[in-house]
Amino acid sequence: MTDRFAYPPDREARNAARVRALEALLIAKGVITNQTVDKVMQTFATEMGPFNGAKLVARAWTDDAFKALLVTDTMAAVAQLGLPTGAAGAEGEHMRAVANTPQVHNLIICTLCSCYPWPVLGLPPYWYKDPSFRARAAREPRAVLKEFGLDVDPAKEIRTWDSSAQIRWFVVPERPDGSQGLSEDELAELVTPEAMMGVAVALPKAA
Amino acid sequence: MQTSFEHFAVASMMGQPDTPPRANGSLCFHQPWERQAFGLAVALAREGHFEWEDFRQALITEIAAWEATHARDDPGWDYYECWLTALECVMQAHVIPSLTEA
Repeated sequence: MTDRFAYPPDREARNAARVRALEALLIAKGVITNQTVDKVMQTFATEMGPFNGAKLVARAWTDDAFKALLVTDTMAAVAQLGLPTGAAGAEGEHMRAVANTPQVHNLIICTLCSCYPWPVLGLPPYWYKDPSFRARAAREPRAVLKEFGLDVDPAKEIRTWDSSAQIRWFVVPERPDGSQGLSEDELAELVTPEAMMGVAVALPKAA
Repeated sequence: MQTSFEHFAVASMMGQPDTPPRANGSLCFHQPWERQAFGLAVALAREGHFEWEDFRQALITEIAAWEATHARDDPGWDYYECWLTALECVMQAHVIPSLTEA
């Protein structure tokens, strides 16, 4: 027997019904309204996302003092740019940035679940939550990065940062060669979510 | 041999401007119920009905239980099913008791 027979064919419908039951109960008891979930999700779509992380990185690339602040007191740097810091406890009040250098490449993971710096990166991609990624990235990061198409120089150290209740990490990639003379907004366009997770690097704009 | 993250590498090499699975400003859930389950947990924590750490521990427990009984590459893996079960546990422990008092 293969695993696909181990799950009921109406699995999605059952899960959908379980969620509807929870939501209906909470609405009936006045805990939430039928707009609560939409309001929360709206903040993710418009206020919390990798566009914020990209602004932080672009500023760090152009301002050494800001970069120093970003990696030593990340929340102060986030506040300085007027970006959201997330609700207390849930979402990222303990975010910390780690900067790539010519000697060190950083990779963020969450081995136990899926903690992620939502205010600056938004929601994690599905593979970040995948059991094999979580296990393998901790054990053999270099091989995993190669599968992502990132061949890290063997002379370079790879550091993995495991997110936790205390700290949610993100990466400040190195500024790409050939990006001289770009404005901060143009630089921000070079900063992808994958580069801020450490599964990619920032590249100069494709010709 | 297929590698787990091949789809990502291919998309990157092809130079898609929006690398999967999340484009700036738009969220990615496979099913509407996943979005509802996610939003409910965040909303309840934001409004103080439970501590995020309690939910996080419940989620870690669910994921660990699944991983203890399945291969890491089992195609039946469903992250949001773990999330939903964790949400039900936390509601049972922290939200529903105060509802019956009210």
